[in-house]
Amino acid sequence: MRFMPEGKYLMMGNIAMSEGALAAGLNFFGGYPITPSTEVIEHLAARLPQVGGVCMQMEDELASINAVIGASLVGAKAMTATSGPGIALMTETISMAANLEIPFVFCDVQRNGPGTGYVTEPHHNDIGLMRFAGNGEFQVITLAPMSCQELYDLTIVAFNFAETYRCPVFIMSDAYLGHLHEVVKIPSKEKVEKMVIKREIPEDIIGKFSYKDESTGKYIIPKPPIMGTDYCPPMFLSQPHSLEGMPTPKPQIFTEMMIKKITSNIDKIALTDTYKLDDAEIIIIAYGLPVRASYRAVDLARKEGIKVGILRLITIWPFPDEKVKETVKDAKVVIVPELNYTGVIAEQVERVTNLNTPVIRIPNVCEIHHPHDILKVIKEVDK
Amino acid sequence: MSGIGPMYPNEKPENPYVLVSYAGHLLGNYSSRLCAGCGYGIIGHIFTRLFEDEKLDPKLYPLVLGIGCYSQMLLTVHYATQKVLSLHGRAPALATGMKMANPQMKPIIFTGDGDCLGIGGNHFIHTCRRNLDCIILIFNNSIYAMTGGQGAPTTLFGAKSTTTPYKMFENRSDGVKLALAAGATYVARTTVAHPRTFMKYFRKALKHKGTSVIELITPCVTYFGRKNLNNLGAEYLGLKGEKMDTAGKMIDWIKRNSIRVNQAKFMNEEELFNKYIIGEFRYAPDQPEYSDEYAKIQKIARGGI
Ligand SMILES: Cc1ncc(C[n+]2csc(CCOP(=O)(O)OP(=O)(O)O)c2C)c(N)n1
Ligand code: SF4
Ligand SMILES: [Mg+2]
Repeated sequence: MRFMPEGKYLMMGNIAMSEGALAAGLNFFGGYPITPSTEVIEHLAARLPQVGGVCMQMEDELASINAVIGASLVGAKAMTATSGPGIALMTETISMAANLEIPFVFCDVQRNGPGTGYVTEPHHNDIGLMRFAGNGEFQVITLAPMSCQELYDLTIVAFNFAETYRCPVFIMSDAYLGHLHEVVKIPSKEKVEKMVIKREIPEDIIGKFSYKDESTGKYIIPKPPIMGTDYCPPMFLSQPHSLEGMPTPKPQIFTEMMIKKITSNIDKIALTDTYKLDDAEIIIIAYGLPVRASYRAVDLARKEGIKVGILRLITIWPFPDEKVKETVKDAKVVIVPELNYTGVIAEQVERVTNLNTPVIRIPNVCEIHHPHDILKVIKEVDK
Repeated sequence: MSGIGPMYPNEKPENPYVLVSYAGHLLGNYSSRLCAGCGYGIIGHIFTRLFEDEKLDPKLYPLVLGIGCYSQMLLTVHYATQKVLSLHGRAPALATGMKMANPQMKPIIFTGDGDCLGIGGNHFIHTCRRNLDCIILIFNNSIYAMTGGQGAPTTLFGAKSTTTPYKMFENRSDGVKLALAAGATYVARTTVAHPRTFMKYFRKALKHKGTSVIELITPCVTYFGRKNLNNLGAEYLGLKGEKMDTAGKMIDWIKRNSIRVNQAKFMNEEELFNKYIIGEFRYAPDQPEYSDEYAKIQKIARGGI
């Protein structure tokens, strides 16, 4: 059966993600084993045939992602999961899929790098790669869950985003989160079904495949076409297309379309959450696992009377510029604990604040933050 | 390849299949971006003709193209086909996803010697190994034509190309042998100089359930012919070479350089060196096919037997 019975289950992160995908209607998975994402393909190899879907272990990551795109082209909800070296191989096809606007979901269970790295340790070092995966200019969506529950919930959101915005959607997991065992609450089948956007052929525009709203002449994102049906353009070329969906020698409009379809919907895509922000002078901006340590650190600091709060980024790409700007405008200092050394998101915060607010990084590699690491920094800046 | 491609506004299309080609259907006349004398014109035409004559359902026979000059066959193939231009070498992998997500389909894959046996070799091997129901057409022009005539894994020994300016000295990869070793269940090779044979093979592949691999030897006049002599592959016979700078000379050479499989049995390795062996190599219609087998797995997973 596709939906697990409603209830609470002790689940590994990678499996919670897989179950979320099944709930979202996944029917094709193409993958290649790689630590720490392997449990996904193992779980789906057992689960997908049960629901009439297909799970294929391909010959390499290049084949995995191409099979995923092929399946999505003929109307399947499709995904793959891999880790750093895998996503590095897949970038060419991610770029092609972005051009053809083929929906697919991608789970990156990050491990330490560069190169082979320390394969079982968490390291948020593919964030930049996810943002710029592949040649060409296009936008992606990246969601950063922080618990097994969210791996389940946000995977459903990821599939919906993929269907709606027709761009690559990444779920940013890591070695720690993927292997974490936690209680996951599975909602009822009816509740899940209500959330999920199905792949359907729109009734009114069968055969008329176009990116143009006939009444306003503006760009719209039509439902993804399906090969093997009447709702399919004469050819899929990964070349710039016009508003009519035909190849165009004028890539300017196309590039603008590719960027704007995400940036103009940023309020719907960029999900954030706040914690004790109202009177905060010190603001922590965090995403993924470090958020959990930050919650505890904030609680401890508040006990000592320090005014500190959290802005949590659930969506990291596209970066929620306006929201961050608005939140930190009166802040004394911003703290960004990250599971990487460079501070990829800290750099974004610096860009958004024009370097007017001091941004303090708490880098950590291959090891999750302890609340006291963060508390120590909070106390230091509060002096 | 020329710019936008020649069109013949004043000429009446003399051939009934021109109007069912994609460009013909749109423009009412023939248009192609291929060089004069290119073998891909013949292939595109035969494909269109079969598609029309066999009344293939476009929804069931999607066309997946790799990257090479043959990608431009988009314009010359049947207008009704649903086509997807994939990435360089990845067409078999893309087709695998399509076939498995919609098992009624039978993808037809257009790929080149560089595309299929070079960059995409791994996907080719594993598609054959799975015996996935699809048709892989390898267009072997012995060169990377699209990028301007570089050596390919299939380039004949002694041939000149822009990256083998002195001579090709590497061993050549053989699509048919590879397909046989990998487990494809219908394997054949012919040339564009034998169009009726190709039609016969193609019809057979359409009816075959499993991976069909047909390698087609096709001339690239522009980048292979102009650089090479027509005694290539048979220098030891003491023939005086002449540049193969026209389609006629190339077709002539292709015919001469191809040996039938039953003839080849009586020839030794030296005699077969640099030759193309043409004919049917394997036809095993009863081998288990991947999507059928997967359907059985789905049954087991659901608690059946
Ligand atoms: C990843 C990648 N590398 C290189 C290229 C450039 N490229 C385009 S076509 C081609 C060669 C195609 O050769 P072949 O498949 O033999 O087709 P032909 O042009 O001979 O018909 C190359 C190298 C590319 N498109 N993508
Ligand atoms: S294969 Fe050669 S002859 Fe044919 S279009 Fe390409 S360059 Fe021209
Ligand atoms: Mg070639």
